[in-house]
Amino acid sequence: MTDRTFTVFLVDDDPGVLKAVSRLLRARGYQVRSFASPHEFLAQHDAAIPGCAVLDLSMPELDGLALQAALTGAQRPVIFITGKGDIPTSVRAMKAGALDFLTKPVSDQDLLDAIARAQEQDTNTRRLHAELATIAARIASLTPREREVLTHVVAGRLNKQIAGDLGTVEKTIKVHRGRMMEKMGVRTVADLVRMAEKAGLH
Amino acid sequence: MAVVGHRFARAPQRVLAACGILVLLVLACPLPGASLRADEPPRRVLMLHAFNYTFPATTEVAEAARKRLLERSPRRVEIDADFLDLARITEPGHELRMAAFLRDKYARTPPDLVMTLGSAALPFVIQHRNTFAPKVPVVFTGISPQTYAALRPPSDVTGIITEFNLDKTLALAEQLQPDARRLYVIAGSGATDRRWHSVARTVIANRTRTFETTYLFELPYAQLVTELSRVPRDAIVILLTVFADGEGRTFIPAEVATALSAISPAPVYAPYDTYIGNGTVGGFVETFGSVGVAAADLALRVMAGEDPTTLPPRTNADQAYRVDLRALQRWGLRESDLPPGAVVLFKQPGIWDQHRSLVLAALAVFAVQTAFAAALLIQQRRRKRAELLLKESEERMTFAAASVNIALWQFDRKTNELWATEHCRAMFGLTSNVPLTRDTFLSAIHPEDRAIAMSSLQEASTAGRAAVSDVRVVWPDGQVRWVRIRTRWHSDERGAPHQLSGIFAEVTDQKAAETEAALQRQEVAHLMRVSVLGQLSGAIAHEVNQPLTAILSNAQAALHLLAQESPDLAEIRDALRDIVEEDNRAEQVIRRLRSLLKKGESRIESVDLNDLVSSTVALLHGELVARRINIEVRLAADLPATSGDSVQLQQVLLNLLMNAMDATASAGGATKPVTVSTWIAGGPAIELRVRDRGPGLALGQQELAFEPFYTTKEHGLGLGLSICSTIVNAHGGRLTLANDQGGGAVAIMSLPIREYQVAAQ
Repeated sequence: MTDRTFTVFLVDDDPGVLKAVSRLLRARGYQVRSFASPHEFLAQHDAAIPGCAVLDLSMPELDGLALQAALTGAQRPVIFITGKGDIPTSVRAMKAGALDFLTKPVSDQDLLDAIARAQEQDTNTRRLHAELATIAARIASLTPREREVLTHVVAGRLNKQIAGDLGTVEKTIKVHRGRMMEKMGVRTVADLVRMAEKAGLH
Repeated sequence: MAVVGHRFARAPQRVLAACGILVLLVLACPLPGASLRADEPPRRVLMLHAFNYTFPATTEVAEAARKRLLERSPRRVEIDADFLDLARITEPGHELRMAAFLRDKYARTPPDLVMTLGSAALPFVIQHRNTFAPKVPVVFTGISPQTYAALRPPSDVTGIITEFNLDKTLALAEQLQPDARRLYVIAGSGATDRRWHSVARTVIANRTRTFETTYLFELPYAQLVTELSRVPRDAIVILLTVFADGEGRTFIPAEVATALSAISPAPVYAPYDTYIGNGTVGGFVETFGSVGVAAADLALRVMAGEDPTTLPPRTNADQAYRVDLRALQRWGLRESDLPPGAVVLFKQPGIWDQHRSLVLAALAVFAVQTAFAAALLIQQRRRKRAELLLKESEERMTFAAASVNIALWQFDRKTNELWATEHCRAMFGLTSNVPLTRDTFLSAIHPEDRAIAMSSLQEASTAGRAAVSDVRVVWPDGQVRWVRIRTRWHSDERGAPHQLSGIFAEVTDQKAAETEAALQRQEVAHLMRVSVLGQLSGAIAHEVNQPLTAILSNAQAALHLLAQESPDLAEIRDALRDIVEEDNRAEQVIRRLRSLLKKGESRIESVDLNDLVSSTVALLHGELVARRINIEVRLAADLPATSGDSVQLQQVLLNLLMNAMDATASAGGATKPVTVSTWIAGGPAIELRVRDRGPGLALGQQELAFEPFYTTKEHGLGLGLSICSTIVNAHGGRLTLANDQGGGAVAIMSLPIREYQVAAQ
């Protein structure tokens, strides 16, 4: 089982900085995992653990931006800390989806604020993911016919029209529709539409 | 004109011989088909010139071919000629228009054979033959092997391949100018000119003698003239072809040859026959006339019915070294240096050539008489003069020595007697009433330098070699002057050194200048350090920033922990300890920086090269990371210390590393590491190597790299390596730069081991 507590993944090639920032965050009650090498971090990275990454921008093997790119699939919120915050690099980092870009020496308040925002974002993302996963599972449980009915219902068609479209009688559609609504766990068409939108079905 | 006549003197003979053969042939084979018959339709040869009528090379080939065809053809030959003018008119429609024009012009009288003159005509014919002369056999001239290979003409196209031999032309130049080290190669920007570019580079690269080569390719004509006029006198200039200059203006190469040889300060060589007589020295060439004859012979065989596909293109065998004697004389080159078999043109036989034995005999008689008379005179006067000379010589020597501030002395160790010229008094500040003895001299010398002076009198023991030492002399008024003592000993009969002699020379000014120069060197070295650190400032700021970050985070963590109800004291202690450690780290960075920025006299101390490497690499850490360059450090275990100024040596190291980083970055190969290693080099030396995997050094850069103000970097001053070299030399070491076998460059600094230095002192 993976650990479900929010974890700060700290990556910095400078052992002194790594140790100090890690101490600061632990004193603030965070779960911290620190890595002196970006490769080590990537090798051990588990996207399932909730948390955020605090990355040093300039590291010898793989710099922060490259590391950020490697993390894109994992949807891990990224906060950069850097010794020299030049504008082009910070713009690139922010465009690539960085949550914040802090310059060294970094004050605890700035870092903690950024991490708090990261935690919020991570929680939201994970909730959304969980929700999507539920919807996907429900849609997967539908029979092909029920799926067809779902698409038509979401498109705003009446039972009679659906029956016409699918070449059957209204009564059959009603049965399918009832089972579909049940499997999808919704009572109203409005709920169903919202759910379909979330799942990207229209 | 007489000169030109001499040059072509062989041509009429050849014509006669040819006529003779023709007559014999006609007599021997009285076949009706072989005789010239008016009723048969003539054979038509179309000569296509690549250029216009002003090009001497193609004109010469065409003329020789025309004559040969008319002489040798069994049937009447009619020759048509057209000038394609491809060098001057380069617009795309021109070729099509020319092809259409030829088609219309020769619609009624189609050619039996097409002969091309000049390299550009063959591609034209290959491309457009179907338009104006379908299936008509082609004989080409003036095509180089490279062009032939690139064109891959159809099999019924044959001709004479011309190998303009740059290699042998260069060999000729090398033989005539054995001391030349610089080579200038000229070519334009036309199609033929461009083909020369790569050929020239390959040929020059394959020569065993290496030149510092400048390629004057594709320059605008005016700039070419300027560049050429700056060529040093002892260089070699190779002129290839200039059909067009860098701005696209078209030229006639032979005329360019005339103009350029007239202004060139150095001898000009060329692999072209038409340039000879225009001012060039010459080259390994074939005459264009012989090319024309060979092409005509090939054309005759084709027209006689031989299948052109069975006649492969061939080279013209009539090639030789040809030189212009007037050009040889103009640049003072010796005819005797010419390779055997060289044809010397424009030669007018002189008195020497005509009456060599007579002149030699006359000179010999004159020499014997003179020698005899001189011997008698010398014999008579020698004795008289010898006596006088001895006296004069001593006076002269003393006077000459005094006038250049030198005093002469002699010392006999057995008797302890010293003789010295009066000038010594002025030099040592001795009054005229003081006797000149060994002790008076010693007492005038600065107390600290007396031991040196004594030893220079006692230890000048290596036979015949002069010992030199510099000592300070204190004048009675307190002024300090520098005097150089040179000592030499003369052995007596048993070989024991007892007679010492030598000179004293006043070197105060020289010493002052040396001190001044040393100060300036220090100043420049310091400025360079400051400038290097300026370049590194961003990275160094980062190095200080890291510990500051750690300190701040540790302190804030500690503060937070303290604010809790039951503070974790162990953790707080750890945080504080880390703060102290990080503070030390920041201080170290600043200390390294401060020592490099400090301006001061050089200090001689024991230096551990390994420590120096570690500390320098630490200083560069941020820069290495920022530029994404890896570094491998391999330090020798138990490396003996050297002695010197650690700051200056670190400056050298810093410079070598920065260079290696620049080279690595410029090659884009950040993944290939820069390697720094130290080891005991055997003998009394240790070595440091900095190797990169960059582009390496180009030919000639190796020597220039240490010259002041020589740089390959866009923003470089060109002083780095020059100063490094000065520093290393001052430490009794050597700095060398070479290409590494595995690619890239390697800088090697070798320094003497301290123990040996101390022992030697």
